[in-house]
Amino acid sequence: MKHKSPMRPRKTGYLFVAPYVLLLAAIGIYPAGYVVYLALTSLTAHFTGLDNFIDATHNSEFVPAFENMIKFLGIWLTALVVFVVSLSLMLHSLNERVSAAFRFVLYLPAALAGSASVMLWLFMLQPGKSPWGFVLSWLGYHTLGDSLAPAHLPVVFALIAFWSGAGSWIVVMYGALATIPQAALESAKLDGAGAWRTAVNIKLPLIKKWIAYMLIGAFAAGSQLFAEPQLVSEATGGIANQAWSPNQLAIFLAFHYDYFNYAAAIAVDLLVVAVICAAVILLRTGLFGVGH
Amino acid sequence: MLSHANSPARRTSTGQVVTYVLLVLFAAFFLVPIVWLVFEAIGGNLGLISGNLGVWLINSTIYSAAGAAIAIAACVPAGYAIATHEFPGRRALLILTMLVMLIPTSALVLPLFLEANEVHLLTSPFAVILPYGLFPFGVYLSYMYFQTERFNVLFQTARTDGCDEWKVFRHIAIPLSKPVAALIVFLNIVASWTNFFLPWVMYWSTDATNRYPLPLGIALQLFNGETSGEYLGVVQLHTTWPPSAIAFLLLATIAPVVVVLVLAQRWIRSGQFQGVFH
Repeated sequence: MKHKSPMRPRKTGYLFVAPYVLLLAAIGIYPAGYVVYLALTSLTAHFTGLDNFIDATHNSEFVPAFENMIKFLGIWLTALVVFVVSLSLMLHSLNERVSAAFRFVLYLPAALAGSASVMLWLFMLQPGKSPWGFVLSWLGYHTLGDSLAPAHLPVVFALIAFWSGAGSWIVVMYGALATIPQAALESAKLDGAGAWRTAVNIKLPLIKKWIAYMLIGAFAAGSQLFAEPQLVSEATGGIANQAWSPNQLAIFLAFHYDYFNYAAAIAVDLLVVAVICAAVILLRTGLFGVGH
Repeated sequence: MLSHANSPARRTSTGQVVTYVLLVLFAAFFLVPIVWLVFEAIGGNLGLISGNLGVWLINSTIYSAAGAAIAIAACVPAGYAIATHEFPGRRALLILTMLVMLIPTSALVLPLFLEANEVHLLTSPFAVILPYGLFPFGVYLSYMYFQTERFNVLFQTARTDGCDEWKVFRHIAIPLSKPVAALIVFLNIVASWTNFFLPWVMYWSTDATNRYPLPLGIALQLFNGETSGEYLGVVQLHTTWPPSAIAFLLLATIAPVVVVLVLAQRWIRSGQFQGVFH
């Protein structure tokens, strides 16, 4: 057993990866390539360079959609970094059984994510129906229209996203904390560091790359925002515009005007953001054994 | 104010009280909507519920099950080969897999729509099943799992004993893969069951209501999708359904996920997600 992990220099490797590679090509690589092709050509399949990208920015909904997205991202990322990190640190300071119970509760909504959580929150935001009615009335909201006023929408979507997404990140962050060697925590204790000092000086620096991972990953996912504004729009008869987020705008252009090439240009914009985020996580955080 | 002798103990206990208060407040934030949903649904008149509910439930089940079946058939052997076989392109495939798994699936929805439109698959069940089957994170999980040194010793011993590659995979790797395969199925089903964007896009343009998965069908039936595009100052939801019926329907969409979640709770509690990273 001198040689470690002997690799098989055989063609069988190709056979084993073949189904996955075919799927990856057909469902991942091909559509990504096709959307780039559409974005660079006209309806008549003539190469048009960056014209579609520039024309798409002239759409009157383009700038507002990206503004909405950025406001939403600002609130959602701030909430994530503040609450997920502090909740994980708090959970890590408890004994394992109590902590596990809390983690399960916090993770529960994450399992329900998607359209159900958005619809559920439409009730949570409806004064007179919501168990949080006292909070809403304290804020001076008396109708669903008050809760969902256009200026509130970035906060509302961030709230829904936090409710349905924070739990997964807490599980990840807690897992990162669990990898901190016990010895490091013991020696901090011997040095007289309290819970707070240990959290800030020992634990926080050790999970820095996980926080970076969460922020970049949530940025990439948040920039794809679709279900929340779409469902709020449909459920309220149009409080949120159907082109509230960039992804909605792209879909709107494709479905209602058959502007597939403009839609493709916006999709490429979003895809580029997502690929850059993924590459940064992969190459810069060192979490996946690549780069560094 | 505290005397030096008892200050560490006192400090911890004050800190712990604050910790518990904050955690209970957050637990309430996460839990109350779910509790509300359950109680609201219990009081409801279920006779009001009609329509394609059964069809959508079957659709959701088929899409998720077929997607998970494809995912498992593709992920387990791929991860196994990347971990234990040397072949040109292996490292490139691994890096590409990690890159794709870090890209949010929603970034590919519009490209997939344009592709499906081009190949005339828009209203087909395959328009959602095949994308659900592509699960690079599952390949990564399987790869990390099979990298274990003691597994490699097993595979090597079997080869020395005269097993061909297929037999090693079939009789050793597949039985060993059960825990990671279960995790892949769980994560894949939760992702596909709660997916809204992809089926919405694939089945929107045609009148394909009989293709809807459950969450999409319920959302679109409840709120009949008509929007005026302007702010109406609404006082209530744009639906004729009573809240209790809606609550019941929402509960029906999430109940299967809860069942899968409870079954898989062990992994979540043990922080096993963590084990997949370096």
